[in-house]
Amino acid sequence: MLGGEGKMDSKYYATWEEYLAEHPELDGKPAQAIAPKIQKYEDAMFVFIMDLLL
Amino acid sequence: MTDAVAMTNERNQIFRDLFSGKTPKRVPISNPATQDFAIQYAGLDLAECQWNLTKLEPVYDKFCQDFYTDTYPGGSIRIPSHYQILGSTPIVMSSSGFMQHPEVVGLLAEEYDEFIASPYDCIIEKVLPRLFTEMNGAPGKVAMALAKAMRAHSDDMASLGTIRAKMNAKYGYATMMGALTEAPFDFLADFLRSFKGISGDVRRYPDKVLAACEAVLPLMIKKGTLPNPAMLGYTFIPLHMAPYLRDKDFATLYWPTFKKLVETMVSMGQNVQLFVENDWMRYLDYLYELPENTILRFEYGDAKLVKEKLGKKHIISGFYPITLLQTGTKQQCVDKAKELMDILAPGGKYWFQTDKSVINFESKGPVAENMRAVLEYVHENGAY
Repeated sequence: MLGGEGKMDSKYYATWEEYLAEHPELDGKPAQAIAPKIQKYEDAMFVFIMDLLL
Repeated sequence: MTDAVAMTNERNQIFRDLFSGKTPKRVPISNPATQDFAIQYAGLDLAECQWNLTKLEPVYDKFCQDFYTDTYPGGSIRIPSHYQILGSTPIVMSSSGFMQHPEVVGLLAEEYDEFIASPYDCIIEKVLPRLFTEMNGAPGKVAMALAKAMRAHSDDMASLGTIRAKMNAKYGYATMMGALTEAPFDFLADFLRSFKGISGDVRRYPDKVLAACEAVLPLMIKKGTLPNPAMLGYTFIPLHMAPYLRDKDFATLYWPTFKKLVETMVSMGQNVQLFVENDWMRYLDYLYELPENTILRFEYGDAKLVKEKLGKKHIISGFYPITLLQTGTKQQCVDKAKELMDILAPGGKYWFQTDKSVINFESKGPVAENMRAVLEYVHENGAY
């Protein structure tokens, strides 16, 4: 998969779309406000974890 | 407009010109000394200051006042609190207060297939519990440790960010963003398989090493991505293992995923700065293949040869030997800066940085005075 375009494929990281699919309670809620916040902390945890190994 | 704002604008333009391949107004300069040096230079205790970051504002103020630089100096990616909370073994504070990286093995050779199948899952489930004692145990204990560590790290970064903003506002530094990542092979070596482990793996399991590099590449790309690629800044990639590899192992195991990493960063509109550690002179033809205006900060090697082979395509930096600041006279240190500027500055595409960071300060030693003289010399004589 030399290319880097592939998604991370991990049970410990979810895109907003993957998260939303697992959380039907968010249907009808303001996704434009929720999505960036959920994604921000998903990414913050990723960066924190990876920084432990750099 | 205040003087500091005007200086920031001027410095930002210098770096925009540099990164886009135009000849800037003058040679840009970065102070090579780290936060460790700054704390010692201020006469404070290194360990205490890294635990109590409120002490750092006057430290940075003095550091910024006394040494010329166009970019915010110091900085540290390794603040002790969250490492302590997590029970870190790969990053530990020494008795003298320096954060050090002992040789560790986070991934066993027999775990390659698991890593290749899902690198991030393997990192969470196997590597972190092995390297961080508080991430090994009951789920509740691990969750609490991780929450405390994240909060500590967030608080520390906020403290350092506040100081940085104040210094930028006062001293008018270029406002550059940075991201950090690694070549996939180096990531695999540094904390996962270790120097010794990966050196054996390239002979015993080259196919698995290659597959692991390919599997972890998306993580390295994601880690190196700036919040907004249009920002003034760069992705910093320190390069470690290539000089220790045979040419054929470099060509097949190291280079393909590393090149793809750099190309992907650049295709997203980001600048890339490579810290070309140790001696890469046998790999110059490879480095030429990287996207135009890749920033190459060299540790060792032949500056003339690098300028000749790479200087028209890439941005060259480094080479200034910090050991000279310890062993040379002020005149010898300035003469070395002049020698390197004469070689590397013509035509632009040159950023004055040293061959490595200056971390240790001795109050009776010559390093501070020599470094100040060199930085002032480059500033006063770097106009194009």
